[in-house]
Amino acid sequence: MFAFIIRRVIQAILVMLVISLVGFSIKSNIGDPVRDLVGERVTPEERAQMAEKLGLNDPFFVQYTRFLKNALHGDLGTSFIYRKPALEVIFRHAPATIELVLGAALIIALFSFPLGVYSALYPRSLLSRFTMGFSTLGVSIPVFLTAIMFIYLFAVTLHILPSYGRGETIDLFGNGYWQTGLLTIDGLKHLLLPCVSLASIMMPLFIRLIRSEMMEVLETEYIKYAWAKGLSTRRIWLVHAFKNTLLPVVTVFGVQIGIMFAFTILTETVFQWQGMGFMFLDAIQRADISLLIAYLVVVASVFVVVNTVVDIMYSFINPTVRIAGTK
Amino acid sequence: MKKLVLLLLCLFMAFSFTATAGAKTLKVGLAADPVSLDPQVQLSGGMLQLSHWVFDPLVRWTQDGDFEPRLAEKWERINEYRVRFYLRKGVKFHSGNTFTAKDVKWSFDRMKKSVDFKGLLEPFVGIGIIDDYTVDVVTTKPYALLLNMATYFFAMDSEFYTGTDENGQPKDACKKTTHTFANDNESGTGVFKIKSYEQGVKTVMKRFADYWDKDSKGNVDKFILNPIKANATRVAALLSGDVDVIDQVPPQDYKRLRSDSKTDLVTINGGRIITFQMNGNRVKAFKDARVRNAVVYAINNAGIVKKIMKGTVEVATQQSPPGYAGYKASLKPRYDLEKAKALMKEAGYADGFEITMMAPNNRYVNDAKIAEASAQMLAKIGIKVNLKTMPKAQYWDEFDAKAADMMMIGWHSDTEDSGNFSEFLVMCYDKATGFGQYNSGYCNPKVDELTIAAQSEIDLDKRADMLKEIEQILYDDAAFVPYHWQNHAYGAKKNFKIKPIINSMNFPYFGDLVIK
Amino acid sequence: MTKLQKFKESYFLYSFKRDKVAMASFIILVILLILAVTAPWIAPMDPYGANNIDIMNSEIPPMWSDGGESQFPLGTDNMGRDMFSTMLYGLRTSIIIGVCAVALQAGIGIFVGLTAGFIGGKTDAFLMRLADIQFSFPYLMLAIFIGAIFQVVFGVGSYERLAVPLLIIIIGLAEWPVYARTIRASVIGEVNKEYVEAARIIGLSRPTIMVRHVLPNSLTSVMVISTIQIANAVMSEAALSFLGLGMPVTKPSLGSLIQSGFEFIFSGSWWITVFPGVWLILFVLVINLLGDWLRDVLNPKLYKG
Repeated sequence: MFAFIIRRVIQAILVMLVISLVGFSIKSNIGDPVRDLVGERVTPEERAQMAEKLGLNDPFFVQYTRFLKNALHGDLGTSFIYRKPALEVIFRHAPATIELVLGAALIIALFSFPLGVYSALYPRSLLSRFTMGFSTLGVSIPVFLTAIMFIYLFAVTLHILPSYGRGETIDLFGNGYWQTGLLTIDGLKHLLLPCVSLASIMMPLFIRLIRSEMMEVLETEYIKYAWAKGLSTRRIWLVHAFKNTLLPVVTVFGVQIGIMFAFTILTETVFQWQGMGFMFLDAIQRADISLLIAYLVVVASVFVVVNTVVDIMYSFINPTVRIAGTK
Repeated sequence: MKKLVLLLLCLFMAFSFTATAGAKTLKVGLAADPVSLDPQVQLSGGMLQLSHWVFDPLVRWTQDGDFEPRLAEKWERINEYRVRFYLRKGVKFHSGNTFTAKDVKWSFDRMKKSVDFKGLLEPFVGIGIIDDYTVDVVTTKPYALLLNMATYFFAMDSEFYTGTDENGQPKDACKKTTHTFANDNESGTGVFKIKSYEQGVKTVMKRFADYWDKDSKGNVDKFILNPIKANATRVAALLSGDVDVIDQVPPQDYKRLRSDSKTDLVTINGGRIITFQMNGNRVKAFKDARVRNAVVYAINNAGIVKKIMKGTVEVATQQSPPGYAGYKASLKPRYDLEKAKALMKEAGYADGFEITMMAPNNRYVNDAKIAEASAQMLAKIGIKVNLKTMPKAQYWDEFDAKAADMMMIGWHSDTEDSGNFSEFLVMCYDKATGFGQYNSGYCNPKVDELTIAAQSEIDLDKRADMLKEIEQILYDDAAFVPYHWQNHAYGAKKNFKIKPIINSMNFPYFGDLVIK
Repeated sequence: MTKLQKFKESYFLYSFKRDKVAMASFIILVILLILAVTAPWIAPMDPYGANNIDIMNSEIPPMWSDGGESQFPLGTDNMGRDMFSTMLYGLRTSIIIGVCAVALQAGIGIFVGLTAGFIGGKTDAFLMRLADIQFSFPYLMLAIFIGAIFQVVFGVGSYERLAVPLLIIIIGLAEWPVYARTIRASVIGEVNKEYVEAARIIGLSRPTIMVRHVLPNSLTSVMVISTIQIANAVMSEAALSFLGLGMPVTKPSLGSLIQSGFEFIFSGSWWITVFPGVWLILFVLVINLLGDWLRDVLNPKLYKG
């Protein structure tokens, strides 16, 4: 197991190297960051001087080794538009995304478990059919359309929920890093629509997953034996069947949350939610290349960690899955 | 008992008084927010807006295009090179320091070093202090636009910005890419004081208790600024009541804001000309004035104004908007498809040709749509257009490289004067002087000559004639395709009286905003 | 027994006939496909020809409302294109992009998945990390990257012509790990079974075993994934258009149509928002419903990571 983890860490570092290299090689195609820093009046010569000062004109290899050297000291460069270390900018934006994803995850968990289990137990009932139909519809609507329809309905027409942003936030640790919207009524109200929009694309997947897992478990010998033993229906469903469904579902849940974390761009754009996806798009539009590369590296590391944890969990759940290095 | 009633009554009065005159909060959703609190770090619309809220200039523009005294109470021209400004007394900075002539000089000297502003300040020698409340502004040559430029002279608190900060950096450092003291600390004389500033998220301002302008009717106590970049979301935020005022209302939503019982739409001319330039160095045909004329005749800019801009902007025939010295009223819009076809035939391009076209998709109002409509129109005279639209971060690179045969450029004169357009857009490109920096291909020595001559002509009538002659030459030459002058569109809740405080420079003076 | 007879008696067809939703979805899908294929002949105008469009015809409401014109049955969009024709052409473009991108995904994914699952060890680790990289690299970045390469190689002028292949490559490259992971998982499940051992003992080569024996057992999953992936590809294209990186404005796909609709949601010109939105949702929905049905019939366990 230890060897496996070491191996994974080395692989993870390689992954991040490759990603930063790819990020570096495309950065000149994103645009010229100097352009966003100066007014339209500034002459090309002065822009060239600034680019020189920022080291943007150095050969690719020089820039990349400089980046790596600094990265070893935990410095992923300085964001041009925020004038702060890129990592700090990312960490300041991360809480917004984390809260959004957590909120969406909570909604998914609250609805998909009961609905999934119910439609497994009573596949022919009206509610089950409705749930399945509705969830298919949910995945068929682009998330930005869902989002703007929510805004149209709840904010513009009914005036019951706010239309954009995070609302009132509280500085959680007093150092300005974690602005939380979870502790104020206003903040929670702002959280609702974005979370539901984000949940709408993932929820159907979980309802289906839970349903099929549960149905499969119900068919097993183990459950048949439980019936034969004369246990109560409730006990069989909730304790025997559901418990067995839970494990794989939780694993997938973990992976999907990880994916969700990196792919909130569209939701954040429509709601102007000041999280990492929003920051990413802003960085692209304003050609803040050092922030972009730092973002890519951070997202990649999140991914690798999530995947590694999942693989380890798999090996515990299902010993037949091979893990290289444990033989 | 009586006393108690009286007391209660007093309390009630006091309470109701504070309730009616109570803190008025203004929430604004803008497409972009200031990138810094340092007014001299970047020359952009957003930064100038902030400067008008937190700092004060010597003079400022009024809605009618006149000058209004701010930190300068009055001024007089001493001679061709020198204008004397008499400064207002008893003005306090947010830090508590008193404003005097040394702050004006200090701010000017600092601005002169700023990369963004030094080009604008080229005609100036400097500022001379006469006494504590009198300064002379001196130029290198006779300069007609001195007052226009004085609208850029915002006073910063020289004492406050002197010394070193906790990182050992000088407090007056003005740097674009590293963190500076002025980036998130301010001391101006302006009507609003920054309470908190988080770039890209939220800026909270409070009315400055010691503000000098006691005549201002403005009653905003707390001013919250939120950037909302997505157009649809910004409109939604106003319609849902989450913000009170928004800027850059997209034309397609004008109707909705006008018809909504809770909101108003206010537009004002912005003076930013939108054009397409034709690059004769890339396409031989564009060297021929007949072909360029054919393009201008083929493009129905009036139709674009009506359909894409929803009729709220004026169709352009030249660079200078009405009211500018160079505006020539006799120049008429030229859409005429038959004439365009005839011109193409005359020039030997009856069968047309193929060109590339580039436009940004997030720089000007409906920029990509204007480009698309133009491509349709050019197809009708046989010019096949390959259009590519892209975000501005990529577009400027392409523009600098002159990467397409037709490129879109919009320009707003920094000096609110006609000459500025010609200097940047149509003068022959000269690397040394920087003239024609945004010109992709047109070159006419006569235009250059007139533009340079107009710079130092202080007889305003003679100068206007020269500027008008330039417009006539450009018109006959079809130097570019004119579309319209972009406007500024604000949406506001009905009780926010936004109309009196906006102007064509797009500096909404929120300090003077009255909330009913 | 002929193949046709076999098919007629199969459980597959039997369950299809019994499922009304699946039948309805299938019929709608076929109609949509026919409309898309025949778009150039049945559409009243060619919305991709700049010549035919007049900005002065923009935002005309559908023919049944006030101010509508019979020439434009569903009204016109903000550029003066006939809505109905544009929707037909847009669907056609989106289907081409969706199907080809999924074919590309499946091609790369199956190859990588088979190789990784069968060879295992270092190759497996390498390929799976490659999949991680691909997955953690936002497809927005990929779109910009490939777009830039295309521009350098082919020049600006060809962007309109090359936009479709460009989007196919972007979406195709973005999601191949979906296939690779599924195939790898099913290969690992199959590889220790007796029949593979047997094939090995009789001396078949590795590629042969992979392609002839292991792959067919994974094909049901491929089929089911593919339906969902086509729906996803159409959605991805819509998302790219939403961010301004999709089809050029002069050749709108369903995604770009939805994007214009998004801009017009408060404008009062409701048809620009509603029709393309419903059109895209209808198309994606029937594919998803068919996919659901397929999954229920074939019953592979797909959602496991």
